[in-house]
Amino acid sequence: MPNEALIVENLVKYFPPAQSGWRALVQPFTRLTERALDGVSFTVGAGEILALVGANGAGKSTLLRVLATLLVPTRGRACVAGHDVEREPAAVRRRIGFHTGSDAAFYSRLTGRENLEFFAALNNLSRGETARSIAAVTELLGLSASLDKQVRTLSTGNVHRLGLARALLHRPEVLLLDEPTRSLDPLTAAEFRRFLKNDLVRQRGTTLVFASHALSEIEQIGDRMALLHEGRLVAWDAPRRVMEHAGAATLEAAMEKLTGRAPAGDQPSPARDKR
Amino acid sequence: MTADGVLRKLWFLFRRDLAVARSYRVAFVFELLESLFGVAAFYFLSKFVQSPQLAAALPQGETYFAFALVGFAFFDYMSVAMHSFDASLSEARHNGTLEALLVTQTPLTVILAGSAIYPFVLMALRTGVYLAWGIFLFGFPAGQANWPGAVVVLVVSVLAFAGLGVLSTAYLLLFKRGNPAKWLVLGLSGVVGGMMYPVSILPAPLQAVARIVPVTYSLEGMRAALLGGAGFAELWPSLRALLVFAAVLLPLSFAAFSWALRRTKITGTLTHM
Repeated sequence: MPNEALIVENLVKYFPPAQSGWRALVQPFTRLTERALDGVSFTVGAGEILALVGANGAGKSTLLRVLATLLVPTRGRACVAGHDVEREPAAVRRRIGFHTGSDAAFYSRLTGRENLEFFAALNNLSRGETARSIAAVTELLGLSASLDKQVRTLSTGNVHRLGLARALLHRPEVLLLDEPTRSLDPLTAAEFRRFLKNDLVRQRGTTLVFASHALSEIEQIGDRMALLHEGRLVAWDAPRRVMEHAGAATLEAAMEKLTGRAPAGDQPSPARDKR
Repeated sequence: MTADGVLRKLWFLFRRDLAVARSYRVAFVFELLESLFGVAAFYFLSKFVQSPQLAAALPQGETYFAFALVGFAFFDYMSVAMHSFDASLSEARHNGTLEALLVTQTPLTVILAGSAIYPFVLMALRTGVYLAWGIFLFGFPAGQANWPGAVVVLVVSVLAFAGLGVLSTAYLLLFKRGNPAKWLVLGLSGVVGGMMYPVSILPAPLQAVARIVPVTYSLEGMRAALLGGAGFAELWPSLRALLVFAAVLLPLSFAAFSWALRRTKITGTLTHM
């Protein structure tokens, strides 16, 4: 893998406006006027952890989906492990694991093992690789005991872990996670964060990009954070340095200042560190 | 991706659907029993409508029961060929697995093709059960059937109808709801394709329309193979017409599907319902 696991250059993404009634029929052909990402640029080195931060609608999920080849950029360029997401999507998909944080994305009447075997086959894992990978990943995530139960009978937390297991099965170089500890209890979430940082990133050298609203999580494991606001990158640095630049005591206060959402009486800081 | 790799993925897609179906065993058994009622209803209807005029209109001296049973059983098969692709896309959208499938190392076309295998196999089983009920309980004349010929007609028919099915999926990707053209094609095929009555009894303009509908050739070939025991030389006109439909529709439909998939990635509506 090249030294830079992710290169995002002047990435712009527009969507068509939402339509209803008969206009919905022409929506696929209407002009793209709703801005979701506006000139976002950054790079992430191999083995780094990047936290995507921002309010709902800031562009975090859109950015993750562009990197996962589920969306085509309107302008600009994004490369994952040296491969362009638009021109080489198959090569990108070989190198990424993606988990949306959705609890429902499984075949509920199949067991956890059957689901994982199915997705392993679609990711080109042989029978032997599949068995070894499922054993290793589910043990790490504490799923071994519930692996042979139908997914519909699993707790929300276990279904969430199953989603993470699926994203890790083929040992991706770059892991893209949308709210990775959502639905996990505090102890399991802490354990999972340790797993991400120590086992996955530090030992295996996986690059991790995750979107989160949990600011403590971002401070704990994020090497850097990208603060998005209305599709624009308004801060890019280590969480502590973002706080220093903003002159704020907490990450929450820094975000409020940098996005102009400061409570009355506070002034937004001019500090911006863009790349 | 190697041919072995594709086959393995198709197997896993089939195995997934089989495993889901196995979890609803009782429904599966009742569906097979239900077909008995359908066959019995045709048998008694055919007794009721027997007449010299009908006998004269039927090809190859067939009974109306045999004629209608083949039409009914195989028209259903063609309907599955048209429905199964967009049904698998809709299901993936509904159960939330579409994004998880799309970030795997398997193209969506392979996923849709693999997801269509189980419905085809199930429908083949149902069709077999229909014919078995007909043969063992109601005297369906299978003694002189050309079974290999019937299988070839079926496979080529599926290819022709799959083109329409993939086109319908492209429409569903873009517009999120069922394709009205699909219902038009199926409805028109039901009226002019010769499912319940011979095409020859239709007015001349409708007979002309029947010639541009693939199901007409499919049912003609199937009846010739099963009821007339026709050899491959006699089946060739039907097979040739179906191959032309497949040769035109399959490339066209895959091009339309690729375009629609890219468009939904541009508009961000891939997973919208």
